[in-house]
Amino acid sequence: MKRKLEISERQKLIEEGKNLKEGLATLEEDLVKLTDELQLEAQCIPNMTHPNVPIGGEDSSTVRKMAGTPRDFGFPVKDHLQLGKELDLFDFDAAAEVSGSKFYYLKNEAVLLEMALVNWTLSEVMKKGFTPLTTPELVRSSVVEKCGFQPRGDNTQVYSIEGSDQCLIGTAEIPVGGIHMDAILAETQLPLKYVAFSHCFRTEAGAAGAATRGLYRVHQFSKVEMFVLCRPEESESYHEELIKIEEDLFSALGLHYKTFDMASGDLGAPAYRKFDVEAWMPGLGRYGEISSASNCLDYQSRRLGIRYRPSEPTPAPLKKGKGSLAPTQFVHTLNATACAVPRMIVCLLENYQQEDGSVIIPGPLRAFMGGLELITPKST
Amino acid sequence: MGLQCYFGGTTIQTLKLAAIPASSRFILNPIPKTLVLDSFSRHNYVYCPLRNPFKLLLRALSATAVQTAPATESLDNKVVKPQWKAAIDFKWIRDNKDAVALNIKNRNSNANLELVLELYEKMLAVQKEVERLRGERNAVANKMKRKLEISERQKLIEEGKNLKEGLATLEEDLVKLTDELQLEAQCIPNMTHPNVPIGGEDSSTVRKMAGTPRDFGFPVKDHLQLGKELDLFDFDAAAEVSGSKFYYLKNEAVLLEMALVNWTLSEVMKKGFTPLTTPELVRSSVVEKCGFQPRGDNTQVYSIEGSDQCLIGTAEIPVGGIHMDAILAETQLPLKYVAFSHCFRTEAGAAGAATRGLYRVHQFSKVEMFVLCRPEESESYHEELIKIEEDLFSALGLHYKTFDMASGDLGAPAYRKFDVEAWMPGLGRYGEISSASNCLDYQSRRLGIRYRPSEPTPAPLKKGKGSLAPTQFVHTLNATACAVPRMIVCLLENYQQEDGSVIIPGPLRAFMGGLELITPKST
Repeated sequence: MKRKLEISERQKLIEEGKNLKEGLATLEEDLVKLTDELQLEAQCIPNMTHPNVPIGGEDSSTVRKMAGTPRDFGFPVKDHLQLGKELDLFDFDAAAEVSGSKFYYLKNEAVLLEMALVNWTLSEVMKKGFTPLTTPELVRSSVVEKCGFQPRGDNTQVYSIEGSDQCLIGTAEIPVGGIHMDAILAETQLPLKYVAFSHCFRTEAGAAGAATRGLYRVHQFSKVEMFVLCRPEESESYHEELIKIEEDLFSALGLHYKTFDMASGDLGAPAYRKFDVEAWMPGLGRYGEISSASNCLDYQSRRLGIRYRPSEPTPAPLKKGKGSLAPTQFVHTLNATACAVPRMIVCLLENYQQEDGSVIIPGPLRAFMGGLELITPKST
Repeated sequence: MGLQCYFGGTTIQTLKLAAIPASSRFILNPIPKTLVLDSFSRHNYVYCPLRNPFKLLLRALSATAVQTAPATESLDNKVVKPQWKAAIDFKWIRDNKDAVALNIKNRNSNANLELVLELYEKMLAVQKEVERLRGERNAVANKMKRKLEISERQKLIEEGKNLKEGLATLEEDLVKLTDELQLEAQCIPNMTHPNVPIGGEDSSTVRKMAGTPRDFGFPVKDHLQLGKELDLFDFDAAAEVSGSKFYYLKNEAVLLEMALVNWTLSEVMKKGFTPLTTPELVRSSVVEKCGFQPRGDNTQVYSIEGSDQCLIGTAEIPVGGIHMDAILAETQLPLKYVAFSHCFRTEAGAAGAATRGLYRVHQFSKVEMFVLCRPEESESYHEELIKIEEDLFSALGLHYKTFDMASGDLGAPAYRKFDVEAWMPGLGRYGEISSASNCLDYQSRRLGIRYRPSEPTPAPLKKGKGSLAPTQFVHTLNATACAVPRMIVCLLENYQQEDGSVIIPGPLRAFMGGLELITPKST
């Protein structure tokens, strides 16, 4: 239409242009709808699975490692609830009135035990080069979703705040994952290794039954979490590093545990491979999960928008424009529980109980409890 | 601000059924400056429940039994039913109404004492009438047991029926009156200690001053700049992930938080306090019973969607709730708790330069002291609590002033309140780091916490309750042992060195693996 035209030709072209414009607008709308719907559906596709992961339901998970043996007590063992009552360590009844079921107060030595567990764990993991953090416990729901959780489904694990797009975190993995959202890191910054202490909040909707007594399943708890961002080639080895750190921590506390390579049906959408540690809880009479270590490859980083730019292999002469920069890649992310305090308290109380009702404090924690070696029944 | 009550300037002359025109009833005064919140004191008059002013005109406020005129159309007759009842001593209020009125004025409260007194009188009158009618109904029922002629019996049946209907109506009115009396009376603030200065925040007096502002000899940085240079916090990432006024602590700041909490807990435990960690989600009724207002405009309280739960703004709330609706033995008192929790505050309505960095945040760690004791002892425990706080702050080498807060700045639950403000050289002013309140029985009357005095001499056991002393309400006190972000501000700003490093005060070093200095990281 920029050329010189007869009026009738121009008219025809104007008409054609108008039709094209309308058709285009409609199509572009359709494109947006399609893209949106594609996005929603595709987000449901779980991460790929490591070739060594056993295929099947939770019974197919295999044991990677076992450490220690169940202790032989020689007297009737009490569960942590009974020990807690006798030693005046928790109050579930008052918490039920004030807050509801599955809430609790820790009292006396249990408070010192929580502080010691957190302090010791942070200090041990920092020695391995992890940067300590505390995190927000209220986050935007979009960040929760980008990490692979579902704030607004039925039976969601996530508490939402009224009148806001914020939610309470169920794990520090979420706010830590969010630190480098929409960022392009330099390759030299990797790996980024964080150890984060936070309170965690979970609705535990849909969880019921005997396995929910006492401290085993609660709505609020303290947790120390490890989180790694690294180059793709390195995530498998960091997965091994993380599980080794966990196992060393649990062994140092003298726990008897098994490490499972979780089966494909039990992985959860973000994980490529997941190792769970279950420790022996004599009071419960079974093994209970005390930690979980996942390699998420780029599942989370594609949602959180975390990329890195590989360094040049040889120093390249500076050119104008982006031509000389390597294209960005998505980082891999991993997360692993260093210490889930209530489950650890269950383990320590039940495993270290004595016939006289007292509980021995494991060696590594004593310095963090002012040297205390024993929790003894209080004189009434 | 968190004021739900209208400012009732006019008194209701009668509680007859004439409609009060909307315009004269709803008179708004400008909000006094003293009601601007600082983060550790409560809103003044936070407990003033939501209600419609027009429902004050209830039916059946006349003394006659049966006739009740319907409410006029312009009135909304709904009474907000209180979820719980405070055990308010109405008789004491009536017998001391001048003192109560003066106190309300000194505190700039919008509680409506005249209304409370009128409702109380009306309630008593209706109660008396209800009892009288019940007596008559019983008399009629007794009469009907005798042998009667049919016409007599018919008359009695008719009379009984009328009495029954009248009684039902009156009993309904009694419930409404009681509910409304409760809601109005809950707005009345606590009485005030005679030594408390009367006036707004400028009238608060200094009880004690410790230390002096440090003379630096080089330009001082504020904690934000120090934090940036020493890689101690990240506000920017937190703003993306959570919103403004959220933060990550990093590196030595994490160790500092842990050290402050550990050291504080350990020091306060030495004074005989029982350590606790608490739920941080509580039922909203418990929040209200402590004197906070979860659902007002500009509330400080985060609520959970689809639930009656809220996030706590202070451990005072879950600790106050431990002994809700209990009768303690006198020998159990005093109960002294030191509780560590995270705290969550919306900080709605707080804006300006005094909100930069760690000074005003939505989430923080705090160690809180809480005492339940016999009434005779609360004043001395208040002194004990402030002394513990001052010893802690002196041990950390802070320069601070302790204020006896003025009547206009107390907040509804406190009889007397001591605030400590520490010198923050980076901010260039003093900032509040703690608050210690004696609430007398204000909270315990709402939480239902009583104790039974022991017998003076061992009494022989008798059947029934005759030999037990009547229960009393405990007194409660609460005091901040350590509000972590404010302490971090103080420590960073006061202990900075010219080379950009920060000295760690002696008492904390053992809790930080012996670390003595926070140094700039090599980049």
